[in-house]
Amino acid sequence: MIQTLEVISLNLWQVIISLIDLLIIFLLLKKFLYKPVKKLLAKREAQVNSIYSKAEAARAAAEADKATYHEKLSYAQEEAKDIIKSAQASATRISNTLISDANEEVAAMRQKAEADIALEKQKATNEVKTLISDLSLNIAEKMLGREINSDDQSALIDQFIKDIGDGND
Amino acid sequence: MTKKKKLDFVDILCLILAFAPYLFCMILKILTEPQTEGLSITGARIYWTVHMPIQDLPITESQIVSWATILFVFGMALFLTRKMRVRRPTVRQHIAELIVEKIDDLVCGNMGSRFNNYTPYIMGLLFLSVFSSLSCLLGLRSPTADINIIAGWSILTFALMIYQKFRAGGLVFCKKISEPMVPFTPLNIIGDIAVPVAITFRHYGNILSGAVITTLVGTALSGLSHMILHGLPGWLGYIPFLRIGIPAFMSLYFDLFSGLVQAYIFSLLTMMNVSGSFPEAEYEEKKAKKLARREARIAAREAQAHAA
Repeated sequence: MIQTLEVISLNLWQVIISLIDLLIIFLLLKKFLYKPVKKLLAKREAQVNSIYSKAEAARAAAEADKATYHEKLSYAQEEAKDIIKSAQASATRISNTLISDANEEVAAMRQKAEADIALEKQKATNEVKTLISDLSLNIAEKMLGREINSDDQSALIDQFIKDIGDGND
Repeated sequence: MTKKKKLDFVDILCLILAFAPYLFCMILKILTEPQTEGLSITGARIYWTVHMPIQDLPITESQIVSWATILFVFGMALFLTRKMRVRRPTVRQHIAELIVEKIDDLVCGNMGSRFNNYTPYIMGLLFLSVFSSLSCLLGLRSPTADINIIAGWSILTFALMIYQKFRAGGLVFCKKISEPMVPFTPLNIIGDIAVPVAITFRHYGNILSGAVITTLVGTALSGLSHMILHGLPGWLGYIPFLRIGIPAFMSLYFDLFSGLVQAYIFSLLTMMNVSGSFPEAEYEEKKAKKLARREARIAAREAQAHAA
């Protein structure tokens, strides 16, 4: 037959054992639950803090980089503008010289052509003069049926052409 | 990403450590179930007796169940804190962190942050009380319905109270205990001793009364169903059909709710009394004094160094 305690019965040893039980569970929880979790939380906090500080540093570095890039970019833009301006200026200068050179050349060519033309004209005139004198000599020979003195003849024709030329002028 | 991670061997060992003791208690209880009829309200069952100097020590069901509770809490603590990681915590780890942080908040909120080293103690008190009270859901007798168990806990509370009172200094303690006049000293002492007695009876009485009421109602319902089924022949008249369902609701209140609330109240009263024994003003005063003393010592050392 199993025995039972009275409903209310104090037993010194049981009280002490229960007290020790509580101490044991306190120590167990402290060792196996509280401390590991607290350690982990502290570790996590440290890690998060280090990550934050790293991110902060990275952001600062990025901002600095950005500033330098902006500076460099504006500098480059100005430089490009300068280059374009100087290029435009030199282009204008070159084109101006080219145009003036061409103009001079053209003028020279024209002068030369004009001189040529004048020369040719002179030549042609002379040719025509001889041609006409020969022609008129022939005609006159035929018409007169006699030979004139060659010298006289030439002089006569020259005189004649000169007259015509004078009349023309 | 792998599928749900399976328990490894050590996890299973932890779980066995947590649950096997309860199983053992249940088997022991079933094996020693007495063949009794009717109503009997008794204390815990005595399994065997150890002869001790002043008083014999009966190893009772309460003792064994509270040891089982310790092993359960220990096993769960091991199980929850295994394989903890700083990043991407597991579900178990979340639970462990949640428990520690909540109880830390509770202790710091009620006792002040100067008592934050009391967290594991309050944790132990809460868990022991809660799981002892809840063990009656397994058909065991709650250890918290035994006055000896609760008395041990409140003696510890009392010891902590006295220790905290002495921390402010012996003189302050003597002055405080004879407030407002010297003749009131016995009253103050009685007032201090009343605290552990009061919290003992509050916790133990609530759980025991719950158990008693549940037993009484169960017996009454058996009787009532027998009265209703009186006309039926043989064993049919003894079917306790009213005991189906109704006691569950009683248990919901008396075992579950009452157990949790009493555990919380016991820890709360412990926290209040212990922190009230060493108020913040005294703590600050003592700290200031300590700081002043240390500064004086440093100043003296520097003066010595200068002289040399």
